[in-house]
Amino acid sequence: MKQNNLNHGRLLLFLFLLPCFVFAQNTISGKVTDESGETVPFANVIVKGSSVGTTTSVDGDYSIDVPNLPATLVYSSLGFTTVEQAVSVTGVVNVTMAESAQALDEVVITGLATSIKRSNAANAVAQVSAEDLAGRTPPQTLDGALAGKFAGALVTKSSGAPGGGISVKLRGVTSINGNSQPLYIVDGVYVNNSSISGAGLNFISGAASGGNPSSQDNPSNRIADINPNDIESIEVLKGASAAAIYGSRAAAGVIIITTKKGKRGETKVSFSQDVGWNEIINFKGQRTYTREIAENGFGPGQGDLFAEANNNGSLVDYEQEIYGEKGFITNSTVSVSGGSDSTLFYGAFSNNEEDGIVRNTGYDRKSVRLNVEHKFWDDRAKISVNSNYINSTSDRGFFNNDNTGTTIGVALTSTPPWAQLAPDANGNYPDNPYGGSNPLQTRDLITNREDVNRFITGGTLDFNVYKAENSSLDLQLRAGVDYFELVTTAIFPKELQFQKLSNGGLNGVSALGTTENRDSNFSAFLIHNYRTDSDLSFTTQAGLTKQQFRINTVRNIASNLIASETNLDQAANIAVSQFRQEQEDSGFFAQEELNYQDKFIATVGVRGDKSSNNGDANELFYYPKASLAVNLHEFGFWSENSKWNQLKLRAAYGEAGNFAPNGALFTAYGNSLVGGLPGIVVPVTLGDPTISPERQKEFEAGMDLGFFNNRVSLEATYYNKTVDDLVLQANAQPSSGFSNRWANAGNLENKGIELGLTADVVRSDNFNWSTNILYFTNQSEITQLDVDPFNVGGFGQGLGTFRIEEGESATQIVGNNANGELVVLGDAEPDFQMTFSNNINYKNFDLSFLWHWKNGGDNINLTNLLTDFGQTSPDYDDTGLDPSGELSNGDYRIAAFSAGNATPFVEDASYLRLREIGLYYTFSDKVLEKTFNGFVSNIKLGVSGNNIINIFDYNSYDPEVSNFGSNGLSTGVEVTPFPSSKRYLFHLLVDF
Amino acid sequence: MKNIKIYITIIAAALLTVSCEVEDGRNLNGPTTDSITGDLSRGELQETMAGALADMRDRLGTQVDAQAVAGREYWRFQSSDPRWTGDLLTGTLDNNTFYTTNAYAARYATVKDLNLLLTGLENTTADFSAEEIAATRGFANTIKAHELLMLINQQYNNGIRIDVSDPDNLGPFVDLNGSLTAVFELLSSSASDLLNGGNQFPFSIPSGFAIASSPEEFLKFNRALAARVEVYRGNYASANTLLQNSFMDLAGDLYTGVYYTFSLTGADVTNPLFFALNSSGANARIAHPTYITDAEPGDIRVDKAVLREVDDGNGNLVANPVTQSNLTGNYDVFIYESNEDPVAIIRNEELILLYAEANHISNPSVAVSAIDIVRTAAGLPAYSGGTSPNELVDEILMQRRYSLFAEGGHRWIDLRRFGRLDELPLDRPGDATFEQFPTPLTENRG
Repeated sequence: MKQNNLNHGRLLLFLFLLPCFVFAQNTISGKVTDESGETVPFANVIVKGSSVGTTTSVDGDYSIDVPNLPATLVYSSLGFTTVEQAVSVTGVVNVTMAESAQALDEVVITGLATSIKRSNAANAVAQVSAEDLAGRTPPQTLDGALAGKFAGALVTKSSGAPGGGISVKLRGVTSINGNSQPLYIVDGVYVNNSSISGAGLNFISGAASGGNPSSQDNPSNRIADINPNDIESIEVLKGASAAAIYGSRAAAGVIIITTKKGKRGETKVSFSQDVGWNEIINFKGQRTYTREIAENGFGPGQGDLFAEANNNGSLVDYEQEIYGEKGFITNSTVSVSGGSDSTLFYGAFSNNEEDGIVRNTGYDRKSVRLNVEHKFWDDRAKISVNSNYINSTSDRGFFNNDNTGTTIGVALTSTPPWAQLAPDANGNYPDNPYGGSNPLQTRDLITNREDVNRFITGGTLDFNVYKAENSSLDLQLRAGVDYFELVTTAIFPKELQFQKLSNGGLNGVSALGTTENRDSNFSAFLIHNYRTDSDLSFTTQAGLTKQQFRINTVRNIASNLIASETNLDQAANIAVSQFRQEQEDSGFFAQEELNYQDKFIATVGVRGDKSSNNGDANELFYYPKASLAVNLHEFGFWSENSKWNQLKLRAAYGEAGNFAPNGALFTAYGNSLVGGLPGIVVPVTLGDPTISPERQKEFEAGMDLGFFNNRVSLEATYYNKTVDDLVLQANAQPSSGFSNRWANAGNLENKGIELGLTADVVRSDNFNWSTNILYFTNQSEITQLDVDPFNVGGFGQGLGTFRIEEGESATQIVGNNANGELVVLGDAEPDFQMTFSNNINYKNFDLSFLWHWKNGGDNINLTNLLTDFGQTSPDYDDTGLDPSGELSNGDYRIAAFSAGNATPFVEDASYLRLREIGLYYTFSDKVLEKTFNGFVSNIKLGVSGNNIINIFDYNSYDPEVSNFGSNGLSTGVEVTPFPSSKRYLFHLLVDF
Repeated sequence: MKNIKIYITIIAAALLTVSCEVEDGRNLNGPTTDSITGDLSRGELQETMAGALADMRDRLGTQVDAQAVAGREYWRFQSSDPRWTGDLLTGTLDNNTFYTTNAYAARYATVKDLNLLLTGLENTTADFSAEEIAATRGFANTIKAHELLMLINQQYNNGIRIDVSDPDNLGPFVDLNGSLTAVFELLSSSASDLLNGGNQFPFSIPSGFAIASSPEEFLKFNRALAARVEVYRGNYASANTLLQNSFMDLAGDLYTGVYYTFSLTGADVTNPLFFALNSSGANARIAHPTYITDAEPGDIRVDKAVLREVDDGNGNLVANPVTQSNLTGNYDVFIYESNEDPVAIIRNEELILLYAEANHISNPSVAVSAIDIVRTAAGLPAYSGGTSPNELVDEILMQRRYSLFAEGGHRWIDLRRFGRLDELPLDRPGDATFEQFPTPLTENRG
């Protein structure tokens, strides 16, 4: 009401003060509505070719004084297709605007508080819509849904264990020792994505006591908690040129997630139910045993045992036994969305349950969300609150590397099929004479569980300070909190073979880890918009941000348990460790954006950041950015009816930072205990208090082309990303007392190309086909190294390891060859990746599928070596590996290992995958009307699958694997992982 | 206008809530090295000393196993790391893998613990008396000398760095003789500190050091280590004197000594050299067959290797050999009965045998009587062989082999210092012995 009057008042004032404009005033008025008859408030109405304009009121009414007639009025509003209406006489002109599904694609976030039309954006910002993310087939976790959806990302699952654990690398490797996972922001809240090894599984597995000090216990990462069904869209800022405005945490990119919001109008209730199962992608199979092989491989007497079991038919395929389960999947979601003129809300509840392909593993998640938006003070102010509660439980089994023969994967490597490991009638399991543990017993008796309770809440207050004809000033205040409690429980009862006292075990272990994490962020922005007469607009924004992060992890490991108790005090020995970290960042930023008639769009900005993670907490680090986009098609070179309708050239530059890892500033003592005397001992790594953060500088250039009214669009981008002041944990000379030391000691460069082609190939009434093809490639190089080259990740040069060396790829894999020379055996970076996604629509059927081809990229595969030593490799007796053709595969690998030759362990991890496929049938409106009388507005049935077709030469379960988890350089090392699975699901979606 | 004032107030308030000062980051998870070296308090002395003593045991398993395998005392079977039966028996050693690097780094970490403690002691403002400082210094330097000796045993002809207090300026490599001399001098200087150390240490020590719990008693432990070093250097006369001043007791318990202790409590560690009987090939220590076959009949020390037997289900015990990499063994090494059993650092039986060696040229009859003490305890008759130096060395090496079996990798060290590594059996074609572990690659020896 008030706004309307104000508008009218201002307009009159305008007319009074500038009599030169008072010429022939022609007033056009009317109402703007959408296709369903609802009014469109705050739509812009301007006289084309002038700066005269107004906006529609809350009721959709407008009144505009046009200087000259005839004229064209342009009606535009976010979410609607722009309408141009020619007017020749004064009077009433009512306009209907159509909702544009594509309109959402048009908006891209550039500053922290502003967005820009996609056609004006100077960066190749990838956007993944809800349809792309979870529409084809529901993913188990959010990070798993990102693979193959946009260019420039290498998404690698650490293992098939339910509950996630995924590494997302945007445009190559960002850091060697620092964080290389992107920053996730959900509705403005900085969301925690750490991987926490809470349970202390290393206590049992001893994985860190051998060739690599990492605990290798495969934790999940916290981004898995976010329910993909809640997400409206995801924007990916892939490098510093786009993400500079986020400052010192943005070097590895930023993933901005927007959740679903309510829509004005009738309240819609939506219910969906998925049911399905998962199963292993493919089994490796068994070695073909003979009496001779059993005798030679397993020792005297084993040949007889094999023959006996063979005759009795009591041979057991332990791979089938362990990995052969079909896990049941059920997902249910109910959501309610609606709103009035001033209030919008969206609420949803989801329950996801999934069993794993190994008994006693699985993932459950419940998520509740409520997003409310309310406009007040005459729509000058808007408050939106997004809150989300998640409760999840994941049981992950006991896999990956160890040095004690206790993980299920390692135990299987030495267990032949004639081993009798099944329990007797009373549930007693025999000891496994072929290994340190009985894998069936371990699978059935242990608990390895992560329980998460998480609250993510954020609120934004937008306030329009003033609004004038050509300018406006808005204030935005934002606060967000991400709080979670992660409880990790690991129970290894005393009945386990490796826990028995008679076997030198610990008589039962109960480990409980509790992590409390609270991240909060606050920010305040001012945004000023100003538009000159010649259609040159300035958007200025400036703001302050503050973030606080707190984590407290307490790990308790109790051993020598009393009877079958698992409480921590029911034990003879308890070890406790605690880790705390508090970080605080504070920063400011300013950005100026110029838009000249949509022809030139230039942006300049800077972010200044200070953080307690730096040696001097109050030292400001500056991260500038600049970009330019030129829309050549707006210049008028083109004719209106040209088939080539868009040519945008763009270039952008930006810098972002990456902190040195926690603890690099100090040399902190570790703890010890001897004879009841607590002590402090030097750590493995020498700290450096003068260390500064890594700095990434990215330059990106590209062009966007559109043809046939954007029915076909082509996007091409080249980027060059350099990281200076790499924080490296260089080898220290061990006689110093330290094995490693922190230093800023290198530079890294990533160069790559991203190409994308989107086409609406066929568009007709009954049949539509659109396709999207992406091609992207990246190459990295260590351009400067101030320390000696060193090996990182992996298990040494005799088995294949990553090596940081000047002039070489950052992800090169080196090892000794047959002559004992250290050579490059491969590179974890793929030669290129391509994705091919298609949506085909025929009448009421929708078929969509996504192929993902990763070509090149090598893994270090050590699983086969372990099965060789256990004499159980399926391909042990085959030939083909030995270049001289003399030795069988198993013998060859063992011989290579003994000779220190790492060549057979580096394998090509290329794959071609049908990642997602979905076929849906939507019931027609007529059928729904007849059957449900308008009560039900939409019913959709469907069937979908995930990882259905997997084509690869790799000699193990899945080339997408990482023994060392998601952070760090060395994804792609495999040591007896949890195999990946494929999923088949049936869907029912009902909208009321 | 009034509205604008309200707006400005709101904006200002908003900006203030987002304040700009940031506190320096602190390490919340433990003390840092500069807080120790800057000024060592009484409490910190206790913690750093206990830390060094705990660190002495770090990677002890790897260290002893590697030397024992080199000396063919036993085979170390581990299905997740076949290098134990590969590299260490073929003699093709990698200078950048665990058997070379782990124990090396662990020993120098202990040296660092002690160096930081000693620097803190120099800078201390606490109320230590001169005696307490001397006693502490004597204790710390003795342990430091022991750690350096362990490094010399592994690196041998390569030499080791002795001065390692500044990580940016490490001292040069000192050759074998020079480093043994440096260790001996360190033991001598710490001995004089101990003499001036009063009658009590200003810190508690674990039970493994029970016989050395006062500066006076600890001095005897120091002299014992020095005697070992002198014997390695061939300075027999000096060794003889040192042994007289050590805790050697010709009539006493052979197992009296100073020990590493272990426990299951909390952050304490278990004995890494313990494995249960009949362990599978996943992790086992299998006595070399020649340990049983070379023994003199009646030698009860052979029982340190226990025959592997299991119940076949019908109450009969059947053999349970284990095979890995073409090596088959029937006997487990079993000198520790539980994972909390202590491991000797140096004990009376070794001192007696050092005494024998120290006298075998100058005073063979003394040597023989010392040998006989050990033989009698092992259930063997008195020595009746020749008394020429060569024959006595044969006998002493034999006795050391069985007395110190699987304890500290002594056999390899002893055969090596007498140039007798070629006496070791080679089980498979391609196997070979080696004299020392390579200098770790990351040492950047250049």
